[in-house]
Amino acid sequence: MPSPGKPMTETVSAAVFSHPRWRFWPGMLIALSFLVLVLAGLVSLLQAAGSLDPSNVLGNRYLRGVVTFTVWQALLSVLMSLGLALPIALALARHSRFPGRSALLRLMELSLVLPTIVAVSGIIVVYGRQGWFTSAVSAWLPDHGWNLYGLNGILLAHVFFNAPLAARILLQALESVPEPRLRIAAQLGLQSVWLWRAVQWPALKPVLPGVIALVFTLCFTSFAIIMTLGGGPSATTLEVAIYQSLRFEMDFSQAAILALIQLAICASLWWLAFRCRADTGLLPTSARTPHLQVPGWPGQTLINGALVGLFSAFLLAPLVATTARGLPALFSPEGLAAIQNQLLPATGRSLLIAVPAGLGSVVIALLTLAAARQSEGRWHSGLPVVTGYLPLIIPPLVLGTGLFILLRPSPGTPSEGWVLVSLINSLMAVPFVLQVLRGPFLSVDAHTLRQADQLGILGWHRWRWIFWPLLRRPMALGLAYGITLSMGDFGVIAIFGSPGQPTLPVLLYQQLGSYRVESAAGTALWLLALLLIIFAGLSGLTRPKGVFRTIQRRSPYA
Amino acid sequence: MRFPAFAGFLLAALPAVGAAQPSAVLNVYTHPSFAAEWGPGPAVKQAFEDQCDCIVNYTVLESGGDILQRLRLEGEGTGADVVLGLDTGTMETARQTGLLGQHERNLDNLNLPIEWTDEVFVPYDWGYFAFVYDTEQLPEPPTSFEALLNAPDDLKIIIQDPRTSTPGLGLLLWMHSVYGDQAGAKWRQLEDHILATTQSWSDGYYSLFMNGEAPMILSYSTSPAYHMAIDKTDRYQAVAFEEGHYLQVEVAALVKTSDKPELARRFLDFMLTPAFQQHIPLKNVMYPAIDLGDNLPPVFERLITPEKVLYMDPAEVAAKRRSLVDEWLNALTR
Repeated sequence: MPSPGKPMTETVSAAVFSHPRWRFWPGMLIALSFLVLVLAGLVSLLQAAGSLDPSNVLGNRYLRGVVTFTVWQALLSVLMSLGLALPIALALARHSRFPGRSALLRLMELSLVLPTIVAVSGIIVVYGRQGWFTSAVSAWLPDHGWNLYGLNGILLAHVFFNAPLAARILLQALESVPEPRLRIAAQLGLQSVWLWRAVQWPALKPVLPGVIALVFTLCFTSFAIIMTLGGGPSATTLEVAIYQSLRFEMDFSQAAILALIQLAICASLWWLAFRCRADTGLLPTSARTPHLQVPGWPGQTLINGALVGLFSAFLLAPLVATTARGLPALFSPEGLAAIQNQLLPATGRSLLIAVPAGLGSVVIALLTLAAARQSEGRWHSGLPVVTGYLPLIIPPLVLGTGLFILLRPSPGTPSEGWVLVSLINSLMAVPFVLQVLRGPFLSVDAHTLRQADQLGILGWHRWRWIFWPLLRRPMALGLAYGITLSMGDFGVIAIFGSPGQPTLPVLLYQQLGSYRVESAAGTALWLLALLLIIFAGLSGLTRPKGVFRTIQRRSPYA
Repeated sequence: MRFPAFAGFLLAALPAVGAAQPSAVLNVYTHPSFAAEWGPGPAVKQAFEDQCDCIVNYTVLESGGDILQRLRLEGEGTGADVVLGLDTGTMETARQTGLLGQHERNLDNLNLPIEWTDEVFVPYDWGYFAFVYDTEQLPEPPTSFEALLNAPDDLKIIIQDPRTSTPGLGLLLWMHSVYGDQAGAKWRQLEDHILATTQSWSDGYYSLFMNGEAPMILSYSTSPAYHMAIDKTDRYQAVAFEEGHYLQVEVAALVKTSDKPELARRFLDFMLTPAFQQHIPLKNVMYPAIDLGDNLPPVFERLITPEKVLYMDPAEVAAKRRSLVDEWLNALTR
């Protein structure tokens, strides 16, 4: 795997980065340094804690309840998110050309990166006690008993955040089904169950464990959603308990133990996911021909249409609510002044942190995948990818605090702080970028690579002619995830403390903390629009042009 | 792939963000509502810089708890000269770090509902925790805890979590001050009225209260001042509870290891002058710590005045906090 930007070390005749070690060491070094970073963070926290008494935590009824509830709600969220994501992905794979499809895909990408407070507020406007949905249901069914607050709300919000992400990844897997297999399926007239067993399941199987682990982890570490919609302390997750012990009780030892419990649960799940995946072969690849008819069952189009329509409404409603709330604020005289004085400068600062973070996360993800592939079959093959997922399961507060202890006593200048924030943000985005890039990256099969080796297509050329055409679109999506995740981040920047000039999320929280509810609604809308523009822009930029486009984008299910 | 070059360019541009600064810099750790553009921070900075021949530099942390946390983590290597934004709930823990120095100021002109004799912390504003209600949804709010507890089940309130939020902890102390050993049972009684327990005051105010999800939210008795003076609406009012209201005092202190103790003390002196305090009422939406006379905005005359001021000594708060949180947890997670 080439790492552009590094000095050329090979002889002039060979392409840059031709030596196989370039495919291995950069990714491996990143993985190792991140592992060291995490361990150092944890160890310094444990050291600061002094004594460690696990029985204190394990013997505590409250904390046991927290662990049980955390696992329980995460399991339910996974079930519901995937239960929705699967039919949506199948429907979208089957119907690859309908108006609004690409807008729906952008929408699906967006939901994950929405800052929690924006999404939750939108969800409340729709499903809350006074919400649109609730009023509509009440008109028809006066005794419906729907109540957002409690497990209902937690699951609803988790499905809102995670089902689109899962559907997006599953769709990508379905779209990478090799053409010969589809052709045979079409010729045999395979339908429903048989199509599922012969084509769809084999395509989904390799990505499914990863998706399950990803969604589980995201729900497991969920925090503000659970507290706002959970109703009370009986809905408390481990992450809340960690926050509590770190921020309020200054109990490093308890925080460290809870973090280790979280680490153990999530890591064992990921370990299982990797074991499952190890059994499945890599997806081969080949060019696809346009238009392959796979017959459906009667009424399928209708049902799929209704399903996709409802799903779109589900994703869109909270965003419409955010827009409806923010528009008047943004287009008032005061709002227009705010755009110039606060929003634009804050956007600049946010981009300054988010763009490098996004680029960093894509580069790290690519190097990680390359290193994993290069070391395939050896004991250390899992290492790069495993460390790629660590950011998901390490509570950011624990990592941040650990790093802080590690780095002291140098507080650094604000700009150093921002570089650090950017770096941590890019690491935090790596797991998502990895999910997006893994499939396409692995779709370059061993056979092609052997041929490339024989032909001497190495280093830069190998990257430019073999990987780039396949990866440009996923990379754009990965980059969009990286940038927008960093853009909406509030946690990391809050740990390290911001200088006087706020980024967009910090501005939003400042407004909220000062009763500026109207302005905050305007800022939320601004942030939402910006995230949308980033997704749409990056996806538009990398769309293949001309004839090529019709060939590549037409799904074989159509 | 021109990405790395572009990233390099962006990184190189980063230092330009932090402006160049002259020699004497007063580093103040504070929280967002103070440092925000429309908070008192910028005006205070300007006013102090006009007379001190120095630069005031704010480091903005998420909350009072985070200021304390940061201070503890940095220890004696901290770059802070002054911490501003701790309160009577976190004060004692901050004192126990041993990182704060005595203020040695004369606090005679303080105007607080209680007597203040602390040698480390200087108050800069104060307020009462109170339930703010929406007069359109709830024309006749309960006027005491007893009335709230006995109200019909469909009267819902929004509170904050005492494990993560200052007003949340305030309610815990309030209930404890009113009910003592009975607090646990009263919490169970209150449970049916709690629509949501949010992580922060902002979550509750923005996502729930302003969306009309519940007609009452735990906030400050001064909150209506903002709505009346800035939003020009009388719709949101605080309700006075017969049992009295719990007092919160926000404080600042100088850091022992500061190499500019004189400058830091000058700042603490400046904090109790009208030049600083005049920004408190409408920009921090709290009561000023000194008597502003006619400079107090007229809307403050229209706020509730509790019949009884409830207040626990910070040392007592520090000693009891954990057991009170446990009591609350046990009451609500049977």
